[in-house]
Amino acid sequence: MSDGPRNASRQEASVGKDRAAQLRHEHHGLYSVWSASREAFWLALEALRAHKLRSFLTLLGVVIATTTLIVVMSIVNGMNLYISERIANLGVNVFILHRFQWAQGYESFIKARRRNLPLRMEEYEFLKENLVGYKNICADSRLGDIEGGGIDARYRGHAIEDVRLEGTTPSFIDMREEKVGIGRYFTDSEYQHSAMVCFIGQDLADEFFPNTDPLGKEITVGGANFRVVGVAERIGTAFGVSLDRFVEVPLTTYQKVFVARVQVSVSVQAWNSQQMLALEDEARTLLRARRHLPYKEDDNFGINASDTLMSAWKRLTGTIFAVTIGIVAVFMVVGGIVIMNIMLASVTERTHEIGIRKSLGARRRDILMQFLIESGVTAATGGALGVLFSFIISRIVAVYFTSSVPVHAVVIGLALSTAVGLFFGIYPASKAARLDPIEALRTET
Amino acid sequence: MTMASQVAPSLEETIGPADGIVIKTHDLWKTYEMGEAIAVQALCGVSFEIERGEYVAIMGPSGSGKSTLMNLIGCLDTPSQGRYWLNGNLVSELSDDELAHIRNKEIGFVFQTFNLLARASALHNVELPLIYSGVTALERRERAEEALRKVELADRMHHKPNELSGGQRQRVAVARALVNDPSIILADEPTGNLDTATGEEIMKLFDRLHEGGNNIVLVTHEHDIAAHAHRILHIRDGRIDRDERVQ
Repeated sequence: MSDGPRNASRQEASVGKDRAAQLRHEHHGLYSVWSASREAFWLALEALRAHKLRSFLTLLGVVIATTTLIVVMSIVNGMNLYISERIANLGVNVFILHRFQWAQGYESFIKARRRNLPLRMEEYEFLKENLVGYKNICADSRLGDIEGGGIDARYRGHAIEDVRLEGTTPSFIDMREEKVGIGRYFTDSEYQHSAMVCFIGQDLADEFFPNTDPLGKEITVGGANFRVVGVAERIGTAFGVSLDRFVEVPLTTYQKVFVARVQVSVSVQAWNSQQMLALEDEARTLLRARRHLPYKEDDNFGINASDTLMSAWKRLTGTIFAVTIGIVAVFMVVGGIVIMNIMLASVTERTHEIGIRKSLGARRRDILMQFLIESGVTAATGGALGVLFSFIISRIVAVYFTSSVPVHAVVIGLALSTAVGLFFGIYPASKAARLDPIEALRTET
Repeated sequence: MTMASQVAPSLEETIGPADGIVIKTHDLWKTYEMGEAIAVQALCGVSFEIERGEYVAIMGPSGSGKSTLMNLIGCLDTPSQGRYWLNGNLVSELSDDELAHIRNKEIGFVFQTFNLLARASALHNVELPLIYSGVTALERRERAEEALRKVELADRMHHKPNELSGGQRQRVAVARALVNDPSIILADEPTGNLDTATGEEIMKLFDRLHEGGNNIVLVTHEHDIAAHAHRILHIRDGRIDRDERVQ
């Protein structure tokens, strides 16, 4: 403000109070709030830098809370991606008949284990003959279902352990995610004659046949020799496990060579989603009739569709999120209280400074802003550290399992930690703002 | 304030100060309640006027009420009763934030203990009042440098207070008091923490500022210091004992 207007306004000196209000509007406008805020922002960062260890300990609660939140959201997000890509993508309009209903509670699973009977080859043949109106039907059985492990595959000097071995029907390739890369899938004729042929995944092709054509070569799987007729396109990994390490053979061959009486899963594909329920009912009626189940008895097999899995998954993630929200809330509150405590100490420590600032014209809201910004910036720094840590943890988790940090988790983490800082800063800041300038100035530092 | 409004204000109270009067007080009272029954009268009806460009010292022994008067003049406090106009503003009836605004615009404080921010450079300390009046960063820096040049500390502006001598610190404080071009410079025992020679230097600086047209109000209990002023208000027992003009 220059001298000119003030000299002029001296003429109207008697309207003192009006002029004070007028002055206030002239200069104590928005810009002063902005410049004071910027000053507070740098002060806050300066304070954090000056006391690194103290700041870190102060922020631990907020850091843990933010990290937990983002890591859980990342893992769930990663699994969601997987589920929507793979499991829910079992096939369009496909339901699967299996001994068990998937994704049921533990107790009903125990009960089902006692009374449910596995599906057999004959039942598959029966359904294939008698079910009307389906688009496609296939059966498969894998070794892991019985023994819980894989099998060794060899070709000349090379060996791959823990290979997933699966016996399938020829129609399997049309209904699942595997696609033929080179060669072909096995034929109905090969299926009927239990031919010693196999369809392999990319991992085996890479290991056994890096430079040669795999078609027609004989590999040894679990002691028996199979001729390679086709290689699948690469699928990728899920939960850190390669999905390309498999050998598929005709189900008949599988039964002849490896397992006397196979248990199968039967997949049925409908023409459209409207047909699904009708087809499921049809299959249920047929299977119950064949198994001679009385009217009142429950099914002793499971019918699974992708929506069953999705709803089970949603229940699970719901639980995960509920638990996470609880943990995060506790840490945030603890973190917030620690920040409030430190801010209260800071207000006491800096009472003299507050007195100086007030004597120089800082209003209540300037002091309030200063301390609010300080606690906000402090907590936001904790949030940023949490983001950093969660990225690191997410990377590590992704190696063994699955994890993908969603952008909205970062935004929520930062916003939440800042909000916690601001909220728990309100009390210390208003305490600072209300200090009497004379008393504050009189306080020794 | 409340007591004043209960009584019908006399003509003298309602009329503001005449032109050229920078400070006018009318019947200022300040009572401190010390518990239920005891009330200490720190000021008992102080009235005076200070004209523009005057160099006034307020003198009195400790307990005389001169600190209370200084707090009132400095708008750090409000009177229990009475009116106070500063540069035409009736400040005795303003709210906290309005008083903060008046302090920012109209008053430049110089304290006995300097009261600089320890962590900030001299330049930043001088910039502080401008931050609270919303001056842009560029102009702020210019004006702070200008003020530091006036107190001959331009070469030290990036030093922190603990890297400066006592006299230099007080000159930073004077620069800070000057920077927002206030109506009065209010100095409270400005030489109290300095040795005699350095104190004399600071007093010469005040003399120079007064010659440059600044209004200076000096609160002190030392005669040597008060002798720099052209007028001395002697305070005793919360009253103006003597209003002395010095030639």
